[in-house]
Amino acid sequence: MTPSGPALGGWLPPRTELALLAAIVVVFVGTGWLDPNGTYFNSWAESRDIILRNTALLGIIALGAAVVIIAGGIDLSAGSMVAFSATTCALILTLCADADDRRLVTVGPVGIALAVGGAMLSGLLVGTLHTWLITSIRLPPFVATLATLVGLRSFARAMCLYVTRTRWGSESQQINVNTPFFAWLKEHNVWITTATFLGLAVVTWIVLSRTVLGRHLYALGGNEQAARLSGIRTENVKWFAYCFSSLTAALAGIFLMADSSVAQPGQLARGYELNAIAAAVVGGCSLQGGVGTVSGTVLGALFLRVVIDAVSKLIKASADVYEGMIVGIIVALAVTLTQFGQLARTGRALFPGTRGLAAIPTIATFAALLATMGAANVEGLAGRTGLLGLAVGVAVLGLLGAVRWMEGRRSP
Amino acid sequence: MTPIVAFDSVTKRFPGVVALADVSFDLAPGECHAICGENGAGKSTLMKILSGVITDYEGEIRVRGTPVRFTGTRDAERAGIAIIHQELNLVEQLSAAANIFLGRERRTPLGLLDDSAMIREAGELLAGLECPIDPRVAAGTLRVGDQQLVEIAKALSLRTDILIMDEPTSALTEAEVARLERVIARLRAQGTSILSISHKMDEVFRLADRITVLRDGRHVRSVERAATTPREVTGWMVGREIADHDFHGSRQRGARLLEIRDLTVPWPEHPRGYRLRDVSLDLHAGEILGVAGLMGAGRTELLETIFGVLPPSWTGSIRLEGRPVRFSHPREACAARIAMVTEDRKRLGLFPDLDVAANISLCSLAATLRGGLVNRSREEDLVAGPIRSTGVKTPGPHAAITGLSGGNQQKCIISRWLLTQPRVLLLDDPTRGIDVGAKADLYHLIDRLCREGLGVILTSSELPELLTLADRIIVLAEGRLTAELSRAEATEQRIMEAATAS
Repeated sequence: MTPSGPALGGWLPPRTELALLAAIVVVFVGTGWLDPNGTYFNSWAESRDIILRNTALLGIIALGAAVVIIAGGIDLSAGSMVAFSATTCALILTLCADADDRRLVTVGPVGIALAVGGAMLSGLLVGTLHTWLITSIRLPPFVATLATLVGLRSFARAMCLYVTRTRWGSESQQINVNTPFFAWLKEHNVWITTATFLGLAVVTWIVLSRTVLGRHLYALGGNEQAARLSGIRTENVKWFAYCFSSLTAALAGIFLMADSSVAQPGQLARGYELNAIAAAVVGGCSLQGGVGTVSGTVLGALFLRVVIDAVSKLIKASADVYEGMIVGIIVALAVTLTQFGQLARTGRALFPGTRGLAAIPTIATFAALLATMGAANVEGLAGRTGLLGLAVGVAVLGLLGAVRWMEGRRSP
Repeated sequence: MTPIVAFDSVTKRFPGVVALADVSFDLAPGECHAICGENGAGKSTLMKILSGVITDYEGEIRVRGTPVRFTGTRDAERAGIAIIHQELNLVEQLSAAANIFLGRERRTPLGLLDDSAMIREAGELLAGLECPIDPRVAAGTLRVGDQQLVEIAKALSLRTDILIMDEPTSALTEAEVARLERVIARLRAQGTSILSISHKMDEVFRLADRITVLRDGRHVRSVERAATTPREVTGWMVGREIADHDFHGSRQRGARLLEIRDLTVPWPEHPRGYRLRDVSLDLHAGEILGVAGLMGAGRTELLETIFGVLPPSWTGSIRLEGRPVRFSHPREACAARIAMVTEDRKRLGLFPDLDVAANISLCSLAATLRGGLVNRSREEDLVAGPIRSTGVKTPGPHAAITGLSGGNQQKCIISRWLLTQPRVLLLDDPTRGIDVGAKADLYHLIDRLCREGLGVILTSSELPELLTLADRIIVLAEGRLTAELSRAEATEQRIMEAATAS
């Protein structure tokens, strides 16, 4: 493992960042080239805005995830935290608006400030709760944040029902937010979220690479015992990490609520936590802790969104169906690639023994099915999807079979 | 002269045990004071109290004549006391400089990290310790000896004048030990007092001015080095004199079990290119073959290659009872009745969450099956034999393995392998971190197994151990075999010469 990042004091070439940058350019240019509708040329501004906005929202959460991962922990609760913060924000607006105003247009500046402050405060509270569960009750971070992942969303929904019933006399699962301030936020969402994301990234970068706290975050993730014996208050460092993570999710919650003009705790930001963690991992953060950079995380988030966008352009299907698959494949590939050099040096086989043999048809089957489904969305291939899928499956089978055969010949 | 540290009736109770009972002794300024005792004698507890890790105890500690009661490690550091733990406490991902200043980082006037100042100061500190490494290099990539000097540099950056070292040489090569001894001499010349915990009598007698012996939490005595002998100190430690035992006497060498010729194990990611090169050896039934060598010489790799742990990319030949073998997984080696007790018991040997019986039966679970399920009573019957024959002291087969002493844990692991009925037993530094009394026990056990017809290959980081047990000793240096000595020829001097040959 080659540790990287400014925490080392020396300058090491950021290989992850360079590779990601190259990959982003390749995917972007390739999509522009291959897209039959030429979306990137014909509606450049719109495409750019979609990518920027989505990257910024993912990236804000990913920065929080990265800090926790570098500190040797994990925060699975981000998606629910987003919903919780958005709901908190909307409910405070509800309470500050006139009692019969269900579109929340009558909220004044004080109410807006209270709502935004309240949403951010909810992040601090959840971060503190996580820290307490992890450091005092000594739950593993995975368990503590899994509990809040499940619990917070349900809590937000209950809160939504309770407040709407007491305020309006009738229960509602969601709250429409048409407050002029949030409408303005929505109108300018691309530049505001992007600027917020970049600003946050710079601040996080300074904290991680140039401050004592940042050094202690790396130390905590690298060797908790040594950090404690060096006199570092590791509990307080964790407190910062989990609060930072929850705060980034809370911030994203406000933007998402403004974007959709509605706070809908049941559905909002489901699965965002895993995308954020994926962005951090693709960006070079090690889940073992102690390793990771802000620049990598930012590029990781951008890369994920560019690929998701590319697939939505090339395959005329709704992108969110394919999103999970894309993220999964990218994470597996990214981690494989970082280990590929090691794999090649040690001469370890990719498909050893019976397990390797079983993996080859498995991968080929998945590839064939994926090709069949993908081809169905491409014009001009309609009636031949099965054939195409079969061809791809056979090709993958042959290719991997050849790799296995070569490996068999190489090792005695 | 006022002692720089004085312990006065220090007592520490843990639930159910008295770890320290009424311990009183003192440390003179500029003195090197060795604390000796078996594992569990209370050495570490005492050092943890002095360094502020343990804060609730009875009795009094005076530093420079003033009674102190530290509330934490920082408190002790402010009093000029630093401890270097046996298991080094470095953050491997951070640079040497970052580690040295961890917790007390230098800052610029803006409050940001002042890396250049830290790198410069770290470089100066390390240079003063004969450690010419780049302070920007990640600590995890350094050799153990250099890592330890980084820890010492860290202590020095605190203006420490009382340095506690817990088994400082346990993982060092001879050259690194010599360097450390020079560093210690220089620190003492500058007035630093050193408290050193050690098992190794030769080092204790080379370095220490005075020796304090603890046994079962009690202070046995503190003596001037000149007034005692290693044998006497060892006797105080165990509470009895260890009789020198002639282990070799009547061993009968049997048929040839293993025949290794020109074994070369590649190491592609290393500049040297090989882990082992052209190593040839024979092992017979009923003999113990000792493997000597410094850290990194290839002792463990030799055993791992035989046992199929390393990928089977080696060249040369390994014959087991005349048949060529090439194991690609330990399972195949087990089937061929080879057994291996790994080094680093905690990391590679024990399953801390399993009980004693489960730890022993692990490799022979097939014998415990009834109707395809593991049968607990069959398992108990199965493990009862080796528990008795190896002399494991345990409250019962279902006791927690972590509750056993190191020596008994090691006997459990040997028991595990004896159940596989091996013909060849590979022992990789089996007595590491085991106290003196238990070592003697293990020596008797290994000797008996050998007399029962096993072929044993034994590695050890301690030469006296090899000289005590082995019939023949081969020496590895940098992956090559540099000497093969019969017991009559072998002396520490000759082995060290071969081990440092290039």
